Amino acid sequence: MSIFNFFRAAPRASAVQAKERLQIVMAHERAGRSGPDYLPMLQQELLAVIAKYVNIDENKVEVKLDRGGDCSTLEVNIELPAREQAKAAAAAKAAEKPAGNDDAAAKRPAGGAVGNAGAKKRI
Amino acid sequence: MGEAPLSKIIVMTSGKGGVGKTTSSAAFATGLALRGFKTVVIDFDVGLRNLDLVMGCERRVVFDFINVINGEAKLNQALIKDKRIENLYILPTSQTRDKDALTREGVEKVLNELSKDFDYILCDSPAGIERGALMSLYFADHAIIVTNPEVSSVRDSDRILGVLNSRSRRAEQGLEPVTQQLLLTRYDPERVEKGEMLKVDDVLEILAIPLLGVIPESQAVLRASNVGMPVILDEVSNAGLAYSDAVGRFLGEDIEHRFVTPQKKGLFSRLLRRSA
Repeated sequence: MSIFNFFRAAPRASAVQAKERLQIVMAHERAGRSGPDYLPMLQQELLAVIAKYVNIDENKVEVKLDRGGDCSTLEVNIELPAREQAKAAAAAKAAEKPAGNDDAAAKRPAGGAVGNAGAKKRI
Repeated sequence: MGEAPLSKIIVMTSGKGGVGKTTSSAAFATGLALRGFKTVVIDFDVGLRNLDLVMGCERRVVFDFINVINGEAKLNQALIKDKRIENLYILPTSQTRDKDALTREGVEKVLNELSKDFDYILCDSPAGIERGALMSLYFADHAIIVTNPEVSSVRDSDRILGVLNSRSRRAEQGLEPVTQQLLLTRYDPERVEKGEMLKVDDVLEILAIPLLGVIPESQAVLRASNVGMPVILDEVSNAGLAYSDAVGRFLGEDIEHRFVTPQKKGLFSRLLRRSA
C-alpha cells in the first residue's frame, strides 16, 4: 500500500458495487431455482383475462421488471387499439367500482387506451 | 452511420473459456451502437448467463432468448434496451434451461426476425464446441476469434477455426466462407519484451488470419465488469481505446495498432505505479 493510494481512494469502490450487484441478482436466482419460471404463465393468464373484454395485440404488450434488494417491481403495459377505446373505457369503469384504482389508464393519451397493471412483490 | 453492412451476423468465439468473449462482445456491440448502428448482442451461454451482468442489465431481465424460441414471449419483450446507449439492445439467455433448448430452427427464426430490424447481430458464444457454441456460430457471416497469447488458447482458436470452416451454415451450403479476424486479448507488451509471452506476430503466423485488434492487459476490464459497464465506455483506459480502434477497423477504417510495445513511463507515473 503506497502513500499515494490515500489520495486516490475512490468514493465508492467498484468492488463494493460488484458485491452488491451479485448479492441482489443471486438472491433472486436462488429463490427462483426451486419453482418453475412463472412469468410466461403469469403473462398468458393476464392476457387471457384482458382479452375477454378487449381485443389486444400480443406485440403491444410490454413487461418490465426491476429487481431490487428488498423490493421488485413488475410492470405490465398493454396497449389497447383505438377502436376499442370506448369498449375499454366501459370495462375500466366496470372494474373501477370495486377497486377504484384506474388512474393509470385514465391519464394515458387518447388514440389508444393503455392498461397498466403494476405489482410490487416483497421479498 | 455508414452504408448497410455486408456482414450482419457476427460471432465472438474462442473455443477456450475465460479469454474475454463476453467482455469483448459487450465492448464491441457498444462500439457499433456508438457509431450509429442498431446493434443487438445475444448471449448463447444457456444455463450460465453472464452477458447481462457485464452489460449491467441483470436486474431488468424478464424474458429470455429461450422463452422466445419456445413461443412463451415475443421477441420485443425479451429485448432489453441499453439505458446508456441509443441503438443498443441485449438479448439475455436463460439461467435455468439447458443447451438442448437451442434448436437450429428456433435460433434461425429469432435471427431472421432480428435481421429485419438491426444492422448488426452479435452472438456471444459459450466456451467449448458443444451445442451452444455450434449454434452461435452456425448462422454467422463473420467470426471474431478471441485469443490470449498463451498456448492452450491459441490451439483452441485453431480448433474453432476448423469448426467454422466445416460446420457453419456457409460451409454446409457451399457459400462464401465465414470471414475471420483475430482479436488478441490480455496482451502484455512488457512480458512480450522479456520473452515471457507469445508476440502478436507469433500468434498471427500460427493462426494465419487477419488481425482485428490487440487488447492490452488492463485493470480497467475488471473495474468495468464490477460496475456493469462495457469497458469501451472507459475512454481513458488503454483497453477501452483498443476496443474502439478494433470496431473502427471492423468497419473498414485504417487504424494503426497501439499498445503493442511497452509504454514509456515517466517519473510521475512510475511513482504512482499506475498501469492501464
